[in-house]
Amino acid sequence: MKVLTAKELFENKGKDLALSLVTEPKSLSNTIQDDHLNRPGLAISGYLGYFLYKPIQILGETEISYMQTIKEDVLYDRIKAMFEYSIPLIIVTKGLSIPQQVEFLANEMNIAIMSSRLSTDNLISSLTRYLKEYFAPNKSIHGTLIEVYGVGVLLTGKSGIGKSECALDLIERGHRLIADDLVKITRYEDTLIGTQVNDFGCFMEVRGVGLIDVERMFGVEAFRKRTIIDTQVELLLWQDNVDYERIGLTNNYVDVLGANIPIIYLPVSPGKNISVVIEVIALNHILKNYGYEAAEVYQRKLNEKLQKKNITNKFGKTFD
Amino acid sequence: MIRKTVKVLNKHGLHTRPCALIVKTASKYRSDLVIKKGSIEVNGKSIMGVMMLAAEHMSELELIANGVDEEYLVNDIVELFATKFGEE
Repeated sequence: MKVLTAKELFENKGKDLALSLVTEPKSLSNTIQDDHLNRPGLAISGYLGYFLYKPIQILGETEISYMQTIKEDVLYDRIKAMFEYSIPLIIVTKGLSIPQQVEFLANEMNIAIMSSRLSTDNLISSLTRYLKEYFAPNKSIHGTLIEVYGVGVLLTGKSGIGKSECALDLIERGHRLIADDLVKITRYEDTLIGTQVNDFGCFMEVRGVGLIDVERMFGVEAFRKRTIIDTQVELLLWQDNVDYERIGLTNNYVDVLGANIPIIYLPVSPGKNISVVIEVIALNHILKNYGYEAAEVYQRKLNEKLQKKNITNKFGKTFD
Repeated sequence: MIRKTVKVLNKHGLHTRPCALIVKTASKYRSDLVIKKGSIEVNGKSIMGVMMLAAEHMSELELIANGVDEEYLVNDIVELFATKFGEE
């Protein structure tokens, strides 16, 4: 798992979170490996069972005012016991000042303390968002990501099968490319976001031609920086003895970084116009999201007709 | 060319699943298959066509196969009808 040092947090978010360092700078080398936050109220009161020491600890007005009610020597012992766990970082909110012995112990035991001028609620929500984004699982995969009618379609398949050519055709039809050849996928909660791996702009390689600059060639409208990946389309070489989906009553899903997205296995053969099919897939995805499944509707109509015929045969009466 | 008459024995008739089975089976062979119901003739390898028949329980269909492996094709399809497509 990725790690975040207190120093990186301070440099990246110091301004947004109105942070200032309380302890000595050497404590900034502590590493954070958890995307949650913890408020150590019970730990301060002396109960250290199940103490979540890995996340950043937040001390708000409640904790600070509670500390002030405890006798000095008792507080010293409790904080010392609490700091025996290797807490990476403590953030005090509202710019409150912490008791002298807490600061002393933190310096002694190499625990970073920062002070933020934000209120506890604001700090927690902004910091959580930042941590979730920082620790979001991601990977890069071989494929092409294109947004068709607002639907993020991830094209995958063996190299040379025609992903880039298909993407070019879709750009010509007014759709937008996000990344070609290499797509970086990041999962936030249940959504997958696809971006380019580098920020060179939108270049792609076309076999036999070489590199082209999509943005220069087709204009800014042909390019987007990021999009939500809604569906995956795997291009496969057409094989005679393989069963391809004919009706569409079964939906296949694929697991990407722990999130499920629909996948369609699309057979391709020379001369087939894939881009039209991709457009159809995107539109069908929109319809399915609105709750309309063409295959199911057709099936229902067919069943109704068959039932009517059955009844007609039995009773010799027509209902049509 | 082989012609053979079959009867739809399963209770629910040729709904989507049996149709898909017929098309899947027919597509394994090189011969052509035509399914005839009354005056309607459809290609046995086209799912929309077979579903269009809306063949109900106890209706009669004619299978017309033409090609090098027509016998095997017809036997396979007849078998499907006889076993009621694995339904009741």
